[in-house]
Amino acid sequence: MRSVKTTEQSRLSGIMSQRTERRGIHVDQSDLLCKKGCGYYGNAAWQGLCSKCWREEYQRVRQKQIQDDWALAEKLQREEEAAYASSHGAQTQSHAQSTAPHSVHVSLGPFSKFEEKKTNEKTRKVTTVKKFFSPSSRTAPKKETQEGKSSSPSISRHASFDTDQVSKDFVDFLKNLQKPGREIHKQCRAFIVNMSSKKDLSADELSECVQDFYQNMSDRLMGHFKGSSDSVEQVMDQVEKYIMSRLYKSVFCPETSDDENKDLVTQNRIRALHWVTIQMLCVSMDEEIPEVSENVVKAITDIIEMDSKRVPRDKLGCITRCSKHIFSAIRITMNEPASADDFLPALIYIVLKANPPRLQSNIQYITRFCNPSRLMTGEDGYYFTNLCCAAAFIEKLDAQSLNLSPEEFDRYMSGQASPRFNSSEGDWPHAGSAPDVTATNPVLAQLNHNLELLSGLSSKQERLMEAAQSLQADLLSWPESVQREVHGILEKYPLEIQSCTASAIDANNTDNDNLPPPLTPQVFAG
Amino acid sequence: MSAMRVDAKVVMLGKESVGKTSLVERYVHHRFLVGPYQNTIGAAFVAKTIQMGEKVVTLGIWDTAGSERYEAMSRIYYRGARAAVVCYDLTDSSSFQRARFWVKELQNCEEHCKIYLCGTKSDLIEGDRSLRQIDYHDVQDFAEEIGAQHFETSSKTGNNVDDIFQKVAEDYNSTAFQYMTEETGIDLGQKKDSYFYTCCHNN
Repeated sequence: MRSVKTTEQSRLSGIMSQRTERRGIHVDQSDLLCKKGCGYYGNAAWQGLCSKCWREEYQRVRQKQIQDDWALAEKLQREEEAAYASSHGAQTQSHAQSTAPHSVHVSLGPFSKFEEKKTNEKTRKVTTVKKFFSPSSRTAPKKETQEGKSSSPSISRHASFDTDQVSKDFVDFLKNLQKPGREIHKQCRAFIVNMSSKKDLSADELSECVQDFYQNMSDRLMGHFKGSSDSVEQVMDQVEKYIMSRLYKSVFCPETSDDENKDLVTQNRIRALHWVTIQMLCVSMDEEIPEVSENVVKAITDIIEMDSKRVPRDKLGCITRCSKHIFSAIRITMNEPASADDFLPALIYIVLKANPPRLQSNIQYITRFCNPSRLMTGEDGYYFTNLCCAAAFIEKLDAQSLNLSPEEFDRYMSGQASPRFNSSEGDWPHAGSAPDVTATNPVLAQLNHNLELLSGLSSKQERLMEAAQSLQADLLSWPESVQREVHGILEKYPLEIQSCTASAIDANNTDNDNLPPPLTPQVFAG
Repeated sequence: MSAMRVDAKVVMLGKESVGKTSLVERYVHHRFLVGPYQNTIGAAFVAKTIQMGEKVVTLGIWDTAGSERYEAMSRIYYRGARAAVVCYDLTDSSSFQRARFWVKELQNCEEHCKIYLCGTKSDLIEGDRSLRQIDYHDVQDFAEEIGAQHFETSSKTGNNVDDIFQKVAEDYNSTAFQYMTEETGIDLGQKKDSYFYTCCHNN
């Protein structure tokens, strides 16, 4: 009984104390108000601040946090830079020194968040520009300065954003792998740093370094995954993506190779071969069919897009997509699946039509830096091999390979003749060839149509101009003629000012002579 | 499809219209092309998985353009191939001359590539013996000389078609152990030689 009472009491006292507590809050008004003393009410969720003050406070703390993060990132970067410099030797010592003020400057800029995190590659590049301008480094190697100059700020910012994204994806991917993931990341980073000190190597040596790295990495992974080659492949794809998007700038079309010249040669070669027709290559695609020409356009777009990708595998993806469109085009035309005998000529035709930018550089880049397992055997490898064949064919293309006589070939190459005229007109290359040309080529027909429209427009325009000019002349002469007329009339009827003859009916001085005599009353009898 | 892992590259060589594509089509889809087929987009590259006891081998079969105008480029195709099926038309003696050319090329450039001679269109000969232009024993002698396997196939009836690819897979499987340790050496060696470089630019 007693115990019951005591529990009852304690319960009551508990309620009481709660109540007093609550009452205490209610009583003290100042506790309710914003702690900043702005006069508004605060909220416990906002640490006793009003919404406005809380937002300000929060922003400030966050800003501080961000700045701390920047400072940390900066510090890490400087450390890395220093480590790089010390490993690289005395020549680059100046980099680390000049980097520090630079990155401080960067961290103040609005884009610093992006700039900060990513590779020190760019920083290094900027410092080379600095070096270039500073008097002490007039003897800086030519290569380095060129590279510094070639990176325009907007491009490098964009690129750095991309690589940033790639790094982030890579880290996210590796997180799933836990410990080995960290190991992979460490190795990749070390490799990239290592590679950046090897810029002077020839392209083949660079390729060898990367291929060795792939090989070692996949061997290790093979051990880790206990021979599950699918997982290894998956990781290797990510590794390739990460390191190649980082290295892209320094190893794509490197200055130590003559890739650039080859690109130009190929480009000019394809331009010179503009006259090659679909029939000469024996391509079984009928571009008159809208679906086919649609696929042809897509194929051309894909092969051109290849140049914009950074990772070898993405470039291969473009080639594969292009090839699939070609296959569709052939299948629609022939109504049966295409064989290699149909495909290769069609691919050559597409390459000739597209003239893909930096074709040789891209082929070389893929050959050198793609994961070999993909390149050698898989479907991507097959299409890539075909592209190599197409490029080789175009390079060596001669009269025989187009079933032409050498004379014909020379004439076409020199631009003295065009195959279309000859094939449609035979002996009469010029007279009356226009309709035939338009009949054979829809593009030409379109062109002619447009030209007609344009000439129609220009004649209309001329007529309009003439009309406008005559209108202007008319307008100018109009006041004159009006003036002349007015003068003429004035001369004819000179103005004579006569005395005022106007009279008022009720005026007194009017002579009444002209008026009939006033009626007089008369008396009539009757 | 592109995600499919391929163990061995098998390249089909042969003059135009000897039936390389039909052979592959027959093998992979078990059919002979006489009319329009809508469901395959192209027969130029196929990956075929073969069960070999407990092991699975995936062959990547590469069709090639047989026209003479692309002859100079054929080396790019068979680079790194594990097996080459060199096709000739049993009713066309010129196609066998071309086959000899490819065999020579392969021997010069790809020592690790096994060669399989494949006579095609054997159904035509069964119908009319006089159509045969290439003697079985001549080819057999040639095959022995170069250390190759020899098959006469018909894509129409399917005769010997599965056998030739089965043999390719078996041979790959038995030699795979041999190469397992050597493989890295091969790949890197090819990179060093950079065949692409030579093929695309210096020929």
